Amino acid sequence: MRDVPATEPVISARDLAKHYGTVKAVAGITFEVGRGEVFGLLGPNGAGKTTTIEILEGLRRPDGGQATVLGHDVARHPDRLKERIGVQLQTAALYPNLTVAELIDLFGSFYRRRRPADELIEELGLGERRTALTRDLSGGQRQRLSIALALVNDPELIFLDEPTTGLDPQARRSLWDHIARFRSEGRTVLLTTHYMEEAERLCDRIAIMDHGLILEMGTVAELVTRHFRERTVRFDTRSELTDASLSGIRGVSRVAHEDGEVALYTTDVPGTVGALLALGDRLGIADLDLAVRRPSLEDVFLELTGRALRD
Amino acid sequence: MRALAAMSVANIRSFYRDRASLFWTLAFPIIFVVLFGSIFSGGSTRFSIGWVDQDGTPAAQGMRAAFEQVPILGIEEADEDAALQAMRDGELDAVVIVPAGLGNALADAGEPFRLTLYTDPSRQTASTTVQQIVNQVVGGMNQRLSGVPPLLAVDTQPLQTQNISAAAYFVPSILAMALMQLGVFAAIPLVAQREKLILKRLGATPLSRATLVGSNVVMRLLIALVQSTLIIGIGAALFGVTIVGNIILVAALIALGALTFLAIGYVIASYARTEETANALTSVVQFPLMFLSGIFFPIEFMPDFLQPVAAVMPLTYLGDALRQTMVGGAAYVPLEVDVLVLGGWLVVSFLISARFFRWQ
Repeated sequence: MRDVPATEPVISARDLAKHYGTVKAVAGITFEVGRGEVFGLLGPNGAGKTTTIEILEGLRRPDGGQATVLGHDVARHPDRLKERIGVQLQTAALYPNLTVAELIDLFGSFYRRRRPADELIEELGLGERRTALTRDLSGGQRQRLSIALALVNDPELIFLDEPTTGLDPQARRSLWDHIARFRSEGRTVLLTTHYMEEAERLCDRIAIMDHGLILEMGTVAELVTRHFRERTVRFDTRSELTDASLSGIRGVSRVAHEDGEVALYTTDVPGTVGALLALGDRLGIADLDLAVRRPSLEDVFLELTGRALRD
Repeated sequence: MRALAAMSVANIRSFYRDRASLFWTLAFPIIFVVLFGSIFSGGSTRFSIGWVDQDGTPAAQGMRAAFEQVPILGIEEADEDAALQAMRDGELDAVVIVPAGLGNALADAGEPFRLTLYTDPSRQTASTTVQQIVNQVVGGMNQRLSGVPPLLAVDTQPLQTQNISAAAYFVPSILAMALMQLGVFAAIPLVAQREKLILKRLGATPLSRATLVGSNVVMRLLIALVQSTLIIGIGAALFGVTIVGNIILVAALIALGALTFLAIGYVIASYARTEETANALTSVVQFPLMFLSGIFFPIEFMPDFLQPVAAVMPLTYLGDALRQTMVGGAAYVPLEVDVLVLGGWLVVSFLISARFFRWQ
């Protein structure tokens, strides 16, 4: 189950493990992230996403396996990789009594390579708040500031830990635009999230994590296809169409009733739709409203972990 | 170097934008200096004596004149009831009653004639002093009246001692206290920065921990400089307490004191997990330091069982060192011992926090 990207990996983790006491936060995971990819770690709280990302940032030492980031071993040379990565922690940590501009300048002073504060302020739309103390910022502004701080050294690789948790829909969408832009600029992004929609929209590839393990990895389409070869043909329940008559339709493997709808599971969508319409004709039903649905990432997740991923 | 300068500037900005820390480190010690100065310098050693003359003869008036010649006594004439009431109200320190019949008694020279002196035994210093003065004056009069020349006399010679004024005692003390608070209170922002994951965020940058600690030291030393200048300046301007010792040595001791207590602040931050715990721990540390370290009164005045406690308190030695060098106060221990004890606390605290301080 190892997906090796075409380009040389920016992140390469092998059998990575980390324990806290008797708790296995990360229980041996292996994956690679290629240059220019947006890679998502998707999982519920406590799945080991944050521990994984913090090991790769050089903030925690793994106690099993190894990982290289931008060619540097994370356990042996964390200082070398810190110079080249951008980091946004799950909880935005800022000096409350410094202004936006002061804080960006301060973080700039830590790096050899750095971008001008004005440019970053402009880029993240913080122009009007540049002289505001960080304690006076709104949640969305604070998050954009912490993204600005992650960009201060013009990093090749950006780590974002739950970047949109706690943001309102508008701020979330604005952050998605920024992440999409990072990809267009050729930067590599590793992000964690527990939002399906976010993972589906932003990530080139996804690793689904639970209990410290990677359960499945690949593009959204791959994951769905791998687990669900079937699609569903759906329509509102009609008394004329009995389960017995429906189960005899071409390609249908299962008939289910979900949310007031009939769902026909099939591997042959055109065949099933054709047969269903023909059956309707025979029974004199003209207004059958059909929908075809592909299973979503959420269905994959449910299938893998046995639970829904909601906060 | 650039990171150290930027971090120091950021620390200083964070500090002066925080009103509470500004108050505790700058305003509070100044209020202390002014308050202590007013209390201890204002109360001069002068005693008001109520004078109740029930005799009214020239002999009694002569005796009163003798008392009036004592410079530290103020004599106020009143009748007995008024004088005693005034003493109860705290307006008089003592009352002397000269009963009727003094003139006759002196002429007869029989039984000794008795004056009555009221003093307040709960005010030990005042009552002892007044008793001594009264006995002395009366003794002198006895001698003159009896006409016997004195067989013994005392010549007094001036000699400069290390008994310093109250103001000269407490200015170095308050400076020591301020330096102690500056260091110990450093634990609170440190723990807050760890709790809010600021230290963790910094850990994800190339900023080294040495630079981070270094910037904190730079900031605290600068604040110590401002504090010391203010306290010494106000001590000199309002109470005439000037530095008699080597100013470089004084500055070095201030730096040593600031560093020692900053290291103790790091020890507190090593054990406190939350900002609330850090707040509580700094109080637990600073109050015994303040009151059991002889910075407000000499250690010899403390009860015997507390003196060994004072002997281990680092603040005892900082106060002692500053008092010796700033105003030439009496030494509790030699200056080298002060420096050694402070240095010992610094090294031990540094080692403890280097071992136990957590960044996240």
